[in-house]
Amino acid sequence: MRAVVVLTHPREQSFTRAACDAAVRGLERAGHEVTFFDLYAMGFQPAMTNAEIVAYHSDEPILDPLVAQSAAALRAAQILVFVYPTWWSGLPAMLKGWLEKTMVPGVGFVFNKNHRVRPGLTHVRRIVGISTYGSPRAYVKAVNDNGRRTLMRALRLQTGLRLRSTWLPFYAIDTSTAEQRADFLARVESRMASL
Amino acid sequence: MKTLVIFCHPSPNSFAAAVLDTSVAALHAAGHDVRVTDLYAEGFNPAFSAHDHEHHLDDPSTKPDIASHAANLRWCESLVLVYPTWWAGQPAMLKGWIDRVWVNGVAWQLPADGNRLRPLLHNIRRLHVVTTHGSSKWINALEGEGGKRTALRSLRVLCSPRCRTRWIALYNIDRSTLEQRNEFLRRVTAQLSK
Repeated sequence: MRAVVVLTHPREQSFTRAACDAAVRGLERAGHEVTFFDLYAMGFQPAMTNAEIVAYHSDEPILDPLVAQSAAALRAAQILVFVYPTWWSGLPAMLKGWLEKTMVPGVGFVFNKNHRVRPGLTHVRRIVGISTYGSPRAYVKAVNDNGRRTLMRALRLQTGLRLRSTWLPFYAIDTSTAEQRADFLARVESRMASL
Repeated sequence: MKTLVIFCHPSPNSFAAAVLDTSVAALHAAGHDVRVTDLYAEGFNPAFSAHDHEHHLDDPSTKPDIASHAANLRWCESLVLVYPTWWAGQPAMLKGWIDRVWVNGVAWQLPADGNRLRPLLHNIRRLHVVTTHGSSKWINALEGEGGKRTALRSLRVLCSPRCRTRWIALYNIDRSTLEQRNEFLRRVTAQLSK
């Protein structure tokens, strides 16, 4: 299957990057064709501009060439993989902006003739989220996990009924041991190889 | 009350801008001391950078680019967020303001031995959100209401323990009538005048 992997982390050397590399290795081992986007390295501009809001309801809602590139890959994808650190219980602004700009009418969803939203991602079979958290699991469950909700519920509503989702969280990273981190990377690789 | 209003929308002709004007007028009329931050108008950079990440535990006095935002947060007793809900949450611009300004030494401290944040914004006793949603309340419930939870839970825990919250939302704006939108502006006035 064709997979789109979206990495969000500002630094070249990070645990998130290592998790992303492990995911790509696993996907490639299983024979999937991977298209990779590193949002920070691409210089993606996350804030939706006024011109983009005006274009949103036109026939050509995409103005930014980086967004057009992402949208083209998305339209052909059966697997979506998001790798990012959870900040303030949600997606980093960079990734939130990528969703806002890429998942426009005609890509993420469509408006029907009564101006109701209908799914646009019915070709997607798998959504995978891989995220690190500063907080321990109990705290995340009590107040947080809005990034997971955004991807696994809000985005999922725009896919078909046959979608399967996989969530690979790494909690309490600030107090984790090297062994726990290595285990997690191994788990990411093997899960991605057997999607 | 000292009130900080954070506005997030790129267009001065948007309905969100009308909501902002209505909110500020209501707050003034109720006698509050109001400061408004318009994130798009000031060209705020929402991307938490590699430099921010490397220095994220440093003292905030070493971060001149967020100094005015941090000072406003410490000054206010009431915080009002005005924005449209996009993809079930705060727009990237506003999420970036949270990522970059609610940092160590401003909103929280991290004890050396743990991973539970210690709140610092005890001065904030009210947290109000005024927002619009394209979809219905029912769809928002299915989507998990991430934006509502981010504001009323994740941010609130760093404010005063007695901080009171209010969620003032217009759902289904994509299919709303002019009368419904006007009714919402009246509701905003009533809620923020209290």
